[in-house]
Amino acid sequence: MEMKRAVSVLSSFGLAAALALCPAVVAAQAAASPPLGASLIGKLEGPTIITDVKDYPKTFKEAPTLDAQVKAGKLPPVEKRLPDESQLLVIKPLREIGKYGGNWRRAFTGPADHENANRINSADKILTFDYTGTKIVPSLARDWKVSDDGKTTTIYLRKGAKWSDGKPLTADDFMFWYEDIYLNKNIVPTPFFEFQINGKDGKMRKVDDFTVAFEFPEPYSFFVYQLAGSTGIGAGFATRGAFQNFGGAYAPAHYLKQFLPKYSSEDAVNKKAKDLGFDNWVSLLKNRYSWALNNEVPVMTPWKTVSPINTPTWSMERNPYFWAVDTAGNQLPYIDRITLTLAENTEVANLRAIAGEFDIQERHMGLNKLPVFLENAKKGNYTVRLDPGLNGADVALHMGNSYEGDAEIAKLLRNKDFRHALSLGIDRDQLNEAFWLGVGASGSVAPAPDTIYSPGPEWNKKWAVYDPKQANELLDKLGLSKKDSDGYRLRADGKGRLRLEMITVGGSFVPFTAVGEMIKQQWKKIGVDVDIKEMERNLAFTRDNNNENQIITWANDGSEVLFLFPRHALPVDAAESHMGMAFARWYASGGTSGKKPDDPEMIKAFDLFRASYGMKDEERTKAAKEIWKIIVEQEWSIGTVGQSPAFMGVRIVKNNMGNIPDRQINAQHVRTPHSSWPETFYFK
Amino acid sequence: MTAEVAAAVAAPDSVAEQRIAVATQWQLMWWRFRKHKLALGATFVLAAFYLVAIFADFFAYVDPHASNAQRSLIAPQWIHWFDEGRLSPYVYGLKGARDPMTFKRVYKPDTSTKLPIVFFAHGEPYKLFGFIPADRHLFGIEGTDTAEALVLLGTDVQGRDLWSRLMFATRTSMTIGLVSVALSLVLGVVLGGVSGYFGGLTDTVIQRIIEILRSIPTIPLWMGLAAAVPSDWSVVQVYFAITIIISLIGWTELARVVRGRFISLKHEDFVMAAELVGCSKPRIIFRHMVPSFISHIIAATTLAIPAIIISETSLSFLGLGLRPPAISWGVLLQDAQDVQALVISPWLLITAFPVIVAVLAFNFMGDGIRDAADPYL
Amino acid sequence: MVAYIVRRLMLAVLTVWAISVLSFIIIHLPPGDYVTSYIASMSASGSAVSEGEAQALREQLGLDKPITVQYAKWMELVLQGNFGMAMEWGRPVTDVIGDRLTLTIVISVAAIIFTWVVALPIGIYSAVYRYSFLDYLFTFVGFIGLAVPGFLLALIVMYLGFAYFGANVGGLFSPDYAEAPWSLGKTWDLVKHLPVPAIVLGVAGTAQLIRIMRSNLLDELRKPYVMTARARGLTEYRVITRYPVRVALNPFISTIGYLLPYVVSGSIIVSLVLSLPTVGPLLLKALIAQDMFLAGTIVLLLGVLTVIGTFISDLLLMWVDPRIRLGQR
Repeated sequence: MEMKRAVSVLSSFGLAAALALCPAVVAAQAAASPPLGASLIGKLEGPTIITDVKDYPKTFKEAPTLDAQVKAGKLPPVEKRLPDESQLLVIKPLREIGKYGGNWRRAFTGPADHENANRINSADKILTFDYTGTKIVPSLARDWKVSDDGKTTTIYLRKGAKWSDGKPLTADDFMFWYEDIYLNKNIVPTPFFEFQINGKDGKMRKVDDFTVAFEFPEPYSFFVYQLAGSTGIGAGFATRGAFQNFGGAYAPAHYLKQFLPKYSSEDAVNKKAKDLGFDNWVSLLKNRYSWALNNEVPVMTPWKTVSPINTPTWSMERNPYFWAVDTAGNQLPYIDRITLTLAENTEVANLRAIAGEFDIQERHMGLNKLPVFLENAKKGNYTVRLDPGLNGADVALHMGNSYEGDAEIAKLLRNKDFRHALSLGIDRDQLNEAFWLGVGASGSVAPAPDTIYSPGPEWNKKWAVYDPKQANELLDKLGLSKKDSDGYRLRADGKGRLRLEMITVGGSFVPFTAVGEMIKQQWKKIGVDVDIKEMERNLAFTRDNNNENQIITWANDGSEVLFLFPRHALPVDAAESHMGMAFARWYASGGTSGKKPDDPEMIKAFDLFRASYGMKDEERTKAAKEIWKIIVEQEWSIGTVGQSPAFMGVRIVKNNMGNIPDRQINAQHVRTPHSSWPETFYFK
Repeated sequence: MTAEVAAAVAAPDSVAEQRIAVATQWQLMWWRFRKHKLALGATFVLAAFYLVAIFADFFAYVDPHASNAQRSLIAPQWIHWFDEGRLSPYVYGLKGARDPMTFKRVYKPDTSTKLPIVFFAHGEPYKLFGFIPADRHLFGIEGTDTAEALVLLGTDVQGRDLWSRLMFATRTSMTIGLVSVALSLVLGVVLGGVSGYFGGLTDTVIQRIIEILRSIPTIPLWMGLAAAVPSDWSVVQVYFAITIIISLIGWTELARVVRGRFISLKHEDFVMAAELVGCSKPRIIFRHMVPSFISHIIAATTLAIPAIIISETSLSFLGLGLRPPAISWGVLLQDAQDVQALVISPWLLITAFPVIVAVLAFNFMGDGIRDAADPYL
Repeated sequence: MVAYIVRRLMLAVLTVWAISVLSFIIIHLPPGDYVTSYIASMSASGSAVSEGEAQALREQLGLDKPITVQYAKWMELVLQGNFGMAMEWGRPVTDVIGDRLTLTIVISVAAIIFTWVVALPIGIYSAVYRYSFLDYLFTFVGFIGLAVPGFLLALIVMYLGFAYFGANVGGLFSPDYAEAPWSLGKTWDLVKHLPVPAIVLGVAGTAQLIRIMRSNLLDELRKPYVMTARARGLTEYRVITRYPVRVALNPFISTIGYLLPYVVSGSIIVSLVLSLPTVGPLLLKALIAQDMFLAGTIVLLLGVLTVIGTFISDLLLMWVDPRIRLGQR
């Protein structure tokens, strides 16, 4: 009874609050009723990169901790540590020049959670995007040029930029990566998809000490985006090292040489490996390559690891050789240290955030906990902000277009009308209300209307509204009009009730299973029965690879930058494909393995997609829109609710932090929060 | 009891004493059991639980799977018992909306209409025992869609009624224990009996197997096996797989008890007498030996059930046992798995009460049976 | 007697081997392997793992060989004392477990101490003052402790801590001490955080212990020698503690051995709820990620502890019960 009373007191308080807001709400409704959560979504903003050398600062300052070291003779003075004056990266902070100092506390969930700090430390990307996620700006490289025929992309490095141990970064580090790592089949067995055009490999060439050229046999003007995005070749040495797949386009030659057989002998490096407990020199190299696991490897990032990620505390301190300054000449970053504490699971991470133990935390924060976050904001002395994502669906029903198991169901899954009917039978507003707290946007898989590849806002609603009448009509026309005593449709082949199987993945950011259950209830009204089967991620993905899934629920994040991360939009990537692995294999192998799609629209989309990489920007954008139109019209994946802050969009920031944007872009290609330049965050 | 029997023997005239003298083993047990008030009470409680388990459809008043986002996270409803002086329970309808500032769903009672609660009301149709169509429920609201009005114990985040789900959860959780324990019983009695009666090599081998099984740490074993259950099995198949897994560990305890009994009984006079008379081995085992310790077996079995219920609840809570869309106590408690959920919706923990009560009831009843069965106490 | 010990020892070895096989099989039962798990988790954070990379990883980890070969390889390493590399952590398994094992043992020992310190006196009191108000109260509380699943209690405790103290009572260290090296301050911080997990873990055992202690002691108190002692003029206190309590404690001594495996595995579920940095959550993560070396080693470790515990129990029992010692079985 105590509980009931407490709760009713709480709800009446909430009611009072709601009533107090009434006039405001009414007024707002008179204009255009703002979407729920609008109060927590601010204006998109971020720092800017100064590119005009005239505006560069002439005098430089450094953090007090480094000052002390310089005075003690342990470090050269700041002017010597920074690159040459005209070669600096100058960042204009969002609001004001910051103060040095502080320890940024965050939570991480284990050694697999390296993206947690990778994304803060992504300044070592070769190029990057601005805070709107649309324009390419310099990062590690100070400038770039794409040749007119699109076959060569040249980047210009910063003279005088140094690794965190003081050794200079030059084009030799790029060539080292290319010749000694990338071309070594023992280390990188298959070429990177991004470094090929139409299946043909690209090459890297040293032009001079600070200029590197990427050359391709065919036009590939899209390549510069690969350098700016979150890809195997562009995402920066630190990130690629943490993923332990030897990406990066450059690596610290002077440090890594000792682990390669080329520079000593295979026996010597194998012995070294065994001494340290590794199987062979490749495993050792992998481990040494990662900034997260190895605190000795030199980096170009603003912070470097002190205590590695496979301990209960992953901590970082400032890199004294970081090559960026603010407009007043202060060497960045402002914040001295970052400390991530291990949370056994995301619930604990959320609990600690609610208790105010973290300074800035956007990762692992659950949208469904928003009410509790808001309730405790005052006590915890933090502010909650929402950063909506750009992808169309946090939960997409990827149809098994290459599913073979059951002939009748396979036939239905390949039928566009069947897919449309299922889609029209989903009441997305209900899902939005229950699981996204009403903050998401109901619609198709198409990306947010304000992204460059969006075919237009009407495509977010096409086939993605709740219309059970039309759904029933479509299903009746497909020969499924007979129903059993419970109201479920019977199969046309006489084998009883039509029952689909939907695979959901447990333990994710989004409650896929619960969403599936709700959809099951909704599909009752159109007479379709579905079994919801929850399984572990790897099992679900293994079944995908074997074309065993009829329907699998998964997100379609990253799809808003169609060419940088296509796998959630089209079945083209043989490493992961949820809507037709057999087709992905066919595409990726150039037709030699896998199965050719019998849907002519899919072939059309494939062809457009393949050709886009060689097109110039304008033409490519047009192609992207066409591809999205096909995707939405064919509905190989059914979207439900998206454009929401569910993935890393609930940002908890303590009130004593400065230069924090009201809203930051929440997307994979900009490696949020990197696009807000965490180097400029500071403790007030 | 010995005193009473002695008295009866000394003065065999009174009817009561005569009754004791000729009473069967079961009657004696029952009379003793009756005296143990706590155990008796526990038995009634358990009977009530099983009644709910069998007639879950009747006790629930809405479809436990029916979700409605507009009714997400409603707190338990306040029932007004008196309507103008008469005992006539009623509730108010609820209107809800999400508060844009706190993001919680806020529900206002609609005081304009009183919705009376009726017993044996018509409601969602269902099939009693799986084939008899019926639509009466224990209570409901006549004239309106009950789903729209009644929320005795509140709703979960998907807007599903907690009371109705609890009824069905009771069915699953109470029966899983029975199936599991029945399996353990069979395995335990057979293997323990064989081991104890025949002795020698058979005994040694079975004993070793039992020891090995007992040495395996149970929780990791469950976790591993549960993770291994093919997820493309249906809910029912997974249910049975889990019960089998649980019982595969549990039988060892029973087997040891049975074996111990057999060993001690082997040397009893009445067994030797039966052998001399020429009874076949199976007859000796089943007709003579088993009945003398069956009461112990029943007691041990009853006491094993609570552990099984707790294991199922724990496994499902961890996400390793039954999973949604199955409904069991463990699955319901998963919703209350983190502190934040409790802060927003503490009524989700209500499921804990039936778990605790059921476990206690089984313990008391088991104690009572054990006391009643053991003539030496 | 020596023959008995030798036989038990051989059996123990056999059991450990059987456990190793079983645990290996169980870990390999779910379809897919560590690489599929790795790909899936990479995908969830939006990253590419190409097929070639996946294959290379498999070869590197030896996952493409038949299961018997993998088992043999693992056993070979184990017998050398090398438990392999925890795949996800990139550190030797011994390092990863070692960190947590100490904490696991500390918590479990704290729980055991709590249990015994609380339960024994209460059990004795309940037996001596049978049917008194406190006896009923303790019995009732004991039963609640028995019936409430550990994880539920942990959850309620966390909720109360949060709702009323605004504090996060989970975890074993305050954020300041989490990364600091071991020191007096850190040890004291740990001790401050111990009560909650120790109590939650210990409650169920406490209830059980109270019941057993009470019934054992009751059995003893009924015996004639107690009456004799009283008649002889011993104070009540001595009457109870000098003999009956000691006799009642006998069965517990033989179960001490079982404490060993409990110490490591008993806290798994509660650790998961309270998010304690112990072996439990580690095992769950390892099982889900199918990290063969880590999960296999933990299960093997638990199995070995169980076997050792049983062995010790048997020895103790043998020492206490002369019938076994003298050969009658």
